[in-house]
Amino acid sequence: MDRRSITPDFSALEVPMDVWSEPFWQAGTADGRVIMPRCTACATFRWPPGPFCPSCHTQEVEWVSAGAARLYSFTILPVPAADTEARPQFRVPALAEFADAPGVRLVSVLADAPIDGLAIGDALTIDWRAAANTSVPVFRLAQDKR
Amino acid sequence: MAAQAAIVGVGSTPYYFRGESAPQTLFELLGKAFFAAVADAGLKPEEVDGLAFFASGFDAALLIEHLGLRNITFAHCVSGYGGGLAAMLDLASMGIETGRAKNVVCFGGMQQIGRRLGQAIGNFAPTTDNIFHRIAGLSGPGQALALMARQHMHRFGTRREAFGEVVLSSRTYASTRATSIRRKVPTLDEYMASPMLADPLCRMDFCLETDGALAFVLSGADRAADMPNKPVYVAASAQVGTRDWGRAFFWMGQTDADFVSAGHREVAQRLWATSGYKPADIDVALIYDHFSPLVVMQLEDFGFCARGEGGPFVESGALRLGGALPTNPHGGNLSEGYVVGTTHIREAVEQLRGTAVNQVTGARTALLGGGPAPTPMSATILSNER
Repeated sequence: MDRRSITPDFSALEVPMDVWSEPFWQAGTADGRVIMPRCTACATFRWPPGPFCPSCHTQEVEWVSAGAARLYSFTILPVPAADTEARPQFRVPALAEFADAPGVRLVSVLADAPIDGLAIGDALTIDWRAAANTSVPVFRLAQDKR
Repeated sequence: MAAQAAIVGVGSTPYYFRGESAPQTLFELLGKAFFAAVADAGLKPEEVDGLAFFASGFDAALLIEHLGLRNITFAHCVSGYGGGLAAMLDLASMGIETGRAKNVVCFGGMQQIGRRLGQAIGNFAPTTDNIFHRIAGLSGPGQALALMARQHMHRFGTRREAFGEVVLSSRTYASTRATSIRRKVPTLDEYMASPMLADPLCRMDFCLETDGALAFVLSGADRAADMPNKPVYVAASAQVGTRDWGRAFFWMGQTDADFVSAGHREVAQRLWATSGYKPADIDVALIYDHFSPLVVMQLEDFGFCARGEGGPFVESGALRLGGALPTNPHGGNLSEGYVVGTTHIREAVEQLRGTAVNQVTGARTALLGGGPAPTPMSATILSNER
């Protein structure tokens, strides 16, 4: 059986933002880019975005492209179905690491992916899906192995 | 340094399946545990002058009011959640050592009516920091910890059979205890066939959601010898907060080394280095078992086996009576009951008094670890020798 993960609907989700996190959401919503905050003094990334570098405590950051994404880990959650006769559905929360943003792990959901062949290290792309006040990042497999 | 404080009294309510403690209130459960613990210590309630909490604690004023206390000179709470379990005993011990209080009562309590701890993340209001878990669909700690378990399996070849052995060992211990919620021992085949709740975690890998309350009286070590029970000394403790572990399953940004740990790496280093104890000195281990893979990872953190060898260590039967490290002989959070780990303190006391149902013969020292959860984390060594 070809079991594929669900693609959640985020249209009602309100994403809270502050001055430190806003650029991430704005870049994704504007043109689908994934950018991450890097310390201007020591180049350490901080995630989630915040007011101080965890390494040297500098405040300023520059936002840089995160680069290629890979699957670091994932879980598979059965989604309760209203109709007991319905096909079982699954949601796949996942973690991505990025080639150009070491130390950052982005938590999101892996959408519309074949569940049974998933492996740590799989190449990912990031899709941005509409939420109430912004777009949100969703993982996709770079190569669908179906 | 010789221990300055000892556990001299223990009290507990029965353990109830989630919601079944009604119509008792949470403060009623806490009060019943408190009065039982104070009586066990041979004290009167008015002799209690200290209160110590963890896991966000309880409303101290309301407790003082309900319990009719008038002489409280020390009332404090450890930050963090289940990770602070052992630090609660450390805090009480500090209160006694500094002369701020003579008899400190520590509490654990849980009542899940109309809410479930297992869905804690989903219950939080959205913030800039937790919004990613909501997008992902991670609504409880077990779901998030499943990603760490999968990485451990990937990196070290850890098998589901190891998690299964944690569960089977726990159930085997629980099967002999009247206090246990889950007493039927499954086969490994039944474990392997248990439905996946957060792959690679199946239903049996998740601990119980139960109601109940426990209380523990700590008094000065010098006085403890003259009290009714064999004293259980707080021999050594360590508390560590580090960005390398951070908010743990609320974050998922731990260092690579910490991602396959249970957050106790630096706690263990500090505990062994400052106390002079070593893993081989521990006769019985009380390892926080909210989710079975985290038991495997904690055993590695504390150095009972090398990093990555927790699976084979567990599969060797190490956790069982007569094994290399009898662990959670009460059945733990997985099988006996879950009161934010405080049942582990009760079991440590029973083991060191020599009155446990599944007694480890001649047990002198017990390790109590806080739960893998947001930092600071903690661990304590309890001993019946001063």
